[in-house]
Formats: sequence, structure tokens, C-alpha cells
Amino acid sequence: MVKKKEYKEWPPYAPGTHVHESDISEKKITFTWWEPEVQYSWSLGPAMSKFLMGLKEGKIYGIHCKRCKRIIVPPRMFCEYCFGPTEEWVELPDTGIIETFSISYLDPDARRIEEPILVGVVDLDGTPPHHGFMTYFGEMTKDEIKIGMRVKAVWKPENEREGSITDIKYFKPLKGGED
Amino acid sequence: MKEVAVIGAGMTLFRRHLKETGKELSFLATKMAMEDSGLEKDDIDMVVMGSAPDAFDGIHMKGENLIDGSAAVGKPYVRVFNGGGTGVFAPIAGWWHVASGVADICLVVCEEKMGNCYPHPQTAFRHIWDPILDRPLTPNLVWLFAMEMNRYMTVHGIKKEDIALVSVKNKRNAVGHPCAQLADPNITVEDVLNSEIMAWPVNRLDISPPSDGAAALIFCNRDIVHKFTDDPIYVAGTGWSIDSTMWTNRDLYFPRYVAQAAKMAYKMAKIENPRKEIDFAEPYDPFSYKELHHLEGLLLCKKGEAPILTREGVTQRDGDLPVCPSGGLLGVGNPIAATMGQKVCELYWQLKGVAGKRQIPGDPRIGVAQAWGDIMQMGTVILLRRG
Amino acid sequence: MGFLEKQTDPTSPMHWRGDMQADYFYPSGIAGDKFFKHLMKNDTFLACKCSKCSKVYCPPRLYCEDCFEEIPDSNWKEVPPVGTIRLFTVARLNAHGKNLVTPKVVAFIDIGSTNSAILGIINTNDFNKDFTNAKVKAILRSKDKREGTLKDIVYWEEV
Repeated sequence: MVKKKEYKEWPPYAPGTHVHESDISEKKITFTWWEPEVQYSWSLGPAMSKFLMGLKEGKIYGIHCKRCKRIIVPPRMFCEYCFGPTEEWVELPDTGIIETFSISYLDPDARRIEEPILVGVVDLDGTPPHHGFMTYFGEMTKDEIKIGMRVKAVWKPENEREGSITDIKYFKPLKGGED
Repeated sequence: MKEVAVIGAGMTLFRRHLKETGKELSFLATKMAMEDSGLEKDDIDMVVMGSAPDAFDGIHMKGENLIDGSAAVGKPYVRVFNGGGTGVFAPIAGWWHVASGVADICLVVCEEKMGNCYPHPQTAFRHIWDPILDRPLTPNLVWLFAMEMNRYMTVHGIKKEDIALVSVKNKRNAVGHPCAQLADPNITVEDVLNSEIMAWPVNRLDISPPSDGAAALIFCNRDIVHKFTDDPIYVAGTGWSIDSTMWTNRDLYFPRYVAQAAKMAYKMAKIENPRKEIDFAEPYDPFSYKELHHLEGLLLCKKGEAPILTREGVTQRDGDLPVCPSGGLLGVGNPIAATMGQKVCELYWQLKGVAGKRQIPGDPRIGVAQAWGDIMQMGTVILLRRG
Repeated sequence: MGFLEKQTDPTSPMHWRGDMQADYFYPSGIAGDKFFKHLMKNDTFLACKCSKCSKVYCPPRLYCEDCFEEIPDSNWKEVPPVGTIRLFTVARLNAHGKNLVTPKVVAFIDIGSTNSAILGIINTNDFNKDFTNAKVKAILRSKDKREGTLKDIVYWEEV
């Protein structure tokens, strides 16, 4: 042990050396640059496999947890609340309500865009409240989009579907009289 | 279970890019904590490192890489990590090393170099999304917070002006912090509302910056704290809880995992009325609305009440419940795990009365700090009390 | 059903392919920056010595990891870029498991007059030789091409 420093105020100073973007681009400091190459192949597991194959067929599958009495989507092999196995596949309607959304002026690479992207979570019909997945919203303006709006999936044409969440292009407003 | 005291704290400058390597930053923060306590490397029994994804620093197994800067060579060492929750979880891990009796003195170091990830740490954040359900939609992390903020605002009918008040308060509070990255004594609500819109309802000045930085804390057993101080600061309670990763299967308007962690901590601290018994709070504020969201999660006010408290000035430094007197993440910076510096280290400095320009008036005796991480999942809570 | 279903189709479950997209910029740090900037202009290394335990670090550090004390600038000095091979191996496969056209001799080189070692590639055509204890010298890039990274040392050669 050594004598403590009795500063009156803490932190007494701020150690560290600030470098600006220009110090980096003008190479005023030395650094090493590295571009990693890492590839992945994720196993989907039986539940997600069936869900994606269902999307390819134009269907949304959920799975039933009998103990919790809930239909879960996206489906999984076990329920994380009761930690029991899930049972019984359920085909769900492709309609629901908007659970939440954002109006993004950033594209996926964080570049600014003029026409915003509408993205959010759809709470699917046939499931307990607040159960759904992330999706785009379309055929509505940023002033029209509202939490609670009824929406319906717009699918890619059958020959373009790949078995991916993007087989649903977006959800559009569900007008009265449509199924 | 042994009672645990804090006897030293330190932190570095927080900036978008710092010249130091991760090891050097860890060293600088640890050195300051050692100056505070009078300890040397051999006095430390065990070390806990808190650092968020390897993908920021770009060094796989970075917990092992940072050892020599954390005074840990030749010592029992563990790295803990739960995303943004690490800033409070690492001190909790340090606490349990001493509370269990396996260590008398435990050093906790938190470090982050988000600037290493090029061109922007958003690139690393992209990999937090589920590869199958979310990534094919090519989401941006700001979308996620925007969706949660929208849900919170809609359920309670909150206006953006009230949320912007948090950015104004915290960036002004940060003026008193020597390490602060984005302190601004003159910022107004109009500045926040007029700042570039990223993903509605989130504007640029609603978001904390990515930062490089490090912080350190030293814990010791109550039996030996008299060697260091006659006015000890104790850990009164700790709590932590995590919710499901399936964030699209939850209503995001209330962080129930924070409430669970808070209840665990309050029970340990024997606090029955948090709003009355707690003197100040440092909730995690990476976005302006998160301070409000977390105040409610910490059960310091009713659901939907946090914006009203903010509007009425209750959460100012001289208010009845000062919140983020340090300047928070919005003002000081957000080097993920190293936010331990302006959260838990701040509790310690405020309780000791050495926070300088940031000092809360009166005689604060109990403070609560909270962090939050992963995909709207992790809540970590710690309470420190004087005497 | 669900978890309890039998899997009879080998093509299901499927897989999902993806990659990690991020580039990295690693600043050399306070000590490292001095070392590499010196190497850009000179043909020597810098080393530093801990005042407490006298351990000599090369490449140098801001602090001694054993004593946890800052090493002052006054304890820095130049050392010649020479060393002795402590261990080596001959790599015949690349990172993806394919045969290298020319094998690579990778060595752990104790830098003379310091207590430190550095990893380096040995320039040689003899891949069956025992390089243990061989004396080697760093061959540096021409000064106008040095960039301030480890690659300014092209390889090491026996003297």
C-alpha cells in the first residue's frame, strides 16, 4: 500500500488522448488495419426450418404451448417461459395489427434517404397480444401509419419466394371487406 | 454474506477515438482507482473485467487481451459481459467476489474501444440481430430503439418535447464532468427537436455517442475498510434479471426486467419505498427516452409519470430526486461497459461529497445505478449507501 | 409434435448462410505509436525498462505489467533489431487448410539485450533446418515505404 491521493474533486483529471478523424485519415498516428473474413452457416433447427418453409408456401406457422396456452410466433421448439416442449403447429392468418413502428430516414447502411422506410412489429391475429415479428410496412404514408392499424401481408410472387422472412414484402393497411 | 465497501474509483476521458490501446486505457483507469485507495498491484486479490462485445475492439477473447492493463497478471480473473448491462453487472460481479468471502479486495475494470470498429460501431451492432428473422430485413439498430420509444410514447401519450428535456438536462449536467464527450451548457429543447431525424421518433440529439473509455472500481471487505477510510461507502443492494431475446413477443412500453432487478436489489437493501428512501439515481440513458423508461422500471415513479417529473424539474440536480447528475451517457459518452464510470463511480463520488461541480446539494445517503443491455433484455441494478 | 417430432428429412432443418461485415482500425497506442514512428525513420527498435523490476520490454509499453507502474520516457532507449530464435515452426498449410506454395518458417525471436520476444517470419529456403538458437536480424522495408505497422519488418534473416 502507498499513500492515497487526496484530490478535492473526482475524477481529478481525465487521462486519455483524443484523436480526431483527421488524425486517422491523415495518418498522424500509426495504426494497423484489418479486414476479417468470417463466414457462418447457422443451423435453423426444426422449428425455424418449418417456419421458413411455410413462408415459401405463403403460410405463416405458429406453434402451440399448451401449458402457457399461447400460440407462439416465430415458432420455437420449446417455450422459454415454462421451459417445456411446444406441440402442434398452427397455421396463422396473415393479418394483424401494428404493434409499433419507426419511420426511418436511415437506410440499412446508415446512409440518409429522402423517402423514409417504414418498419416495425406486426402483432399477428391468432396469437396473444404483443406476439409477432419484425417487418416492413407499405402502401401507407408516414402520416397514415399508426399503432393499432389493421394490416395484411403482401407476399412476393410464388416463384420469387426463397424460404426467408423477406418472402413477405411488407404489411399493408387492411381495408374493411378484405379478408 | 459479507458486507462490501467501495474504496477507490477511476475513469478515463471518453471520446469517439482515443489514441490509447485497450490495455493502456484499462491501466489509466485502474491507476486512478489505485491512487484513490492507496493500493498497489500486489494488494489486489482478484480482478473482474467488464467489456462488451469483442466485435467493438476487434480482438477475439479481449477479456484475456486486457489482463495486463487491469493489474490481473498472476491473479484470479474473470470477464463478465451482458452487453450494455455490463457497466453495472461488472461491479455486481466484483461485489460477489468479496461478499462471498473468496476475496478481501476485488478490482473491477471496464473498458471499451468502440472506435476500432470501422467505419462505425453500428457495423458490429448489426450482428446483434437474429440472423434468420431480423438480419434479412437489413435493420439498423436505431430502428429498434425508435420502435420501443414509439410504443412508450403511444401507450402513455408522451410528447417528444418532454423526452427532449432529458437530453437537455443531461448534456448540461455533463459540463461539470472532466471526461465528458458531449457536454453542452447551452443546449435547448428546440436544438434537440430540430436535430437531424434518424428514425422517427429518434432525433440525432436523442442518442448518446459511441465512445472509447475505461473505468475502474475497487471493492473491499467491511472488516478491513477502516484501513482506507473512516467514512465508508457500502454496497446496499444488487439485482439483475434478463428477459427473453424474443423482443417481438413482448410489449416494450415497460422494462419488466429492470423492475425485477430493482426489486431484488431493494429487497437486499431493505428498501420498501424507493421514491422516498433513495436520494438520487443514475439510470442508463443511451437514448433520452430510456432515462424515463428506466426510472419507471426502477419503480421510482408510476408508469407514465417519469416525463411529468422531468418537466417539473424534480430530476434536476437541485430537485427532489436528482437523476443523472453526472451528465449520463447522453452527456459524458457511451463506451458501453465503461459507463460504469458515470454510473457506479458517480454514485461513489456523490456519496463521498467529492463530485465537484456535479455535486448534489444536501446530504445524499443512498443512490441507485442501473444499466441495460442486449436486445431490450438485461436489467442490472446496484445501490450504494453512505455508512 | 414440435420438439417431440421425429426428423426424417435430411434436408430439413436447413441452414442459413451469412458473414460478419466489419473492418478494424487498431491504433498502436501511446507506447506503440512511439515505437512505430521511430521505426519509420530509423533502423533500430525502441525498448523501455521498468524502474522497479528492471524488466526490459521490446516493443515497449506504457507500464510494466508485473509492477503495474508507469514506465517514464527517460527509461526508453534504442536497441539494434537483432535477436535469437527461441522456438520456430514450419507452416505448410494456409489459414484455410490448403497447401502453401512455399512453406513459411514462423519463429519466436528473443530480442537481444531485452527480456522480450516478438513473432517473425524467417527468410530461408531450407525448410528442414533446426533454427533454434540461430542469430537473426530484422530486414526492414525501405524507409520511403514504411507505414508504421509490424509489416515494416519484412522478415528476419540469419546473420
